[in-house]
Amino acid sequence: MIGFLRRILLIDIFKGLALTLRYTYSKVYTEQYPREKVKLAERYRGAPRLNNDPETGETLCISCDLCAEACPEDLIVVSSVRDPESRKKVLTEYTFDTSRCLFCGLCQEVCPTNAIELTQDFELATYDRKSMLWNRARLEKGWDRIEGHKVYHK
Amino acid sequence: MMETLLIYAVIPLIKIAVVVLAVLLAVAYLTWLERKLLGRIQVRLGPMRVGWHGLLQPIAVGLKFVIKEDIIPARADRLVFSLAPMVSFIPALVVFSVIPFGPPDMLSGLLRWVLPLFLDPASVNRVIESGVTTGGYVANVNIAILLVFSVSSVGILGIILGGWASNSKYPLLGALRSSAQMVSYEVSLGFTILSVLLVAQTLSLVDIVQKQQAAGVWYVFVQPVAFVLFFICGLAETNRLPFDLPEAESELVGGYHTEYSGFRFAIYFLAEYAGMITISSIAVTLFWGGWLRPFPNVAWLGFLDLVPSVVWFMAKVFVFLYIFIWVRGTLPRFRFDQLMQYGWKIFLPLAIANLVVTAAVMLKFS
Repeated sequence: MIGFLRRILLIDIFKGLALTLRYTYSKVYTEQYPREKVKLAERYRGAPRLNNDPETGETLCISCDLCAEACPEDLIVVSSVRDPESRKKVLTEYTFDTSRCLFCGLCQEVCPTNAIELTQDFELATYDRKSMLWNRARLEKGWDRIEGHKVYHK
Repeated sequence: MMETLLIYAVIPLIKIAVVVLAVLLAVAYLTWLERKLLGRIQVRLGPMRVGWHGLLQPIAVGLKFVIKEDIIPARADRLVFSLAPMVSFIPALVVFSVIPFGPPDMLSGLLRWVLPLFLDPASVNRVIESGVTTGGYVANVNIAILLVFSVSSVGILGIILGGWASNSKYPLLGALRSSAQMVSYEVSLGFTILSVLLVAQTLSLVDIVQKQQAAGVWYVFVQPVAFVLFFICGLAETNRLPFDLPEAESELVGGYHTEYSGFRFAIYFLAEYAGMITISSIAVTLFWGGWLRPFPNVAWLGFLDLVPSVVWFMAKVFVFLYIFIWVRGTLPRFRFDQLMQYGWKIFLPLAIANLVVTAAVMLKFS
């Protein structure tokens, strides 16, 4: 009897309608990505950057080669020369192959001076493979400030 | 001479132009509303890019349809194929000629203001009092409801012709389904309307609304069963979900309009949405008091008359269109045997029973 009444009075259909009405005026989860900046998690790992000392402008890298050792893909190459006076290693070149990078973050974990860092930039697409190989100059500038790179969100 | 021309040619033509433009605009923005609402039901945004909140989207879509290639399948019946969308679309527009958007004296104020610019006062009065010009409708036909249903049945013919002429399997299946569905549901639709006609005792849509005003009650409260049946059968008549078996994107790849592209497809699309507006307008006219404000005879609610009667009409139609889309976003499509079962085993007996009871009650109390 109750089942019959439910069918006659279309109770289930009205329940469904109530549900969709609730959803109609609920919060929308769409992110208008190219127009708006995507909300990234704080721990998101994106484009690599080689940090400079903010005061002196000198690189923080001490050429210890730990990042290259830690990298599971062996995509970091650190080149350095030893300064004959101070007996310190001086960084000459640092290459980072983003085409092979899996963004595991082991390089920044292992870095004793926080020189290499994975930033939150993620628009890494390029027009050719060559430009996926980043040299020191590019790494130090940071992805979003490189000339010719179009930032899609303001 | 001048007056006759004005009464029987110029003013009706202007009215027709206004109604056609308004309907086309409403159809365009109905598609926008549908995409927006379906989006929101699915927790998406819907169109956002073209114009503010996608408001120019219908124009972009229309433009896209017009400039797209018009493909006619090689083995299709060319004449019928190109005729079918028109057969579907023109009746959908014709129906609006008898739908009353406002009371018979709706335009008298406007005419009194405009006409003296080119006529002397005596003939202005004659034009206004001719009884043809001032109504908020194109024509007050005394068989309006018959006209609506005979003409809109022709529109269904367009669907069947289109499916047949495509010479393709899916459209043919869609057309077959459509004819079966229309035959089963138009009968119940007719019976629900008959029971309203028994109460109103007139076939003119204008008179039906005025009878509702005189009775002081909308007919939905007199004929609730008829209204529910009318609404469900209306969903079926306009091929809307959960009865959109003739289209059935998932099974029939669009059904009768699978082979249509470009402008012809757009015309089918227009016809379907115009059909939605038609059914909503008729439901509003027959059951929800047409252009009347809520509680039309309660004096202290007189401030509601500040809102023009057209706006009341459009608001009611809007509510119906909203429900159409809302139902589409909620219910899945029926199976074909379910469709037939509901049509013949539930709706038809209910409609007939409702008609018989109405007739008996009317006989007893009149």
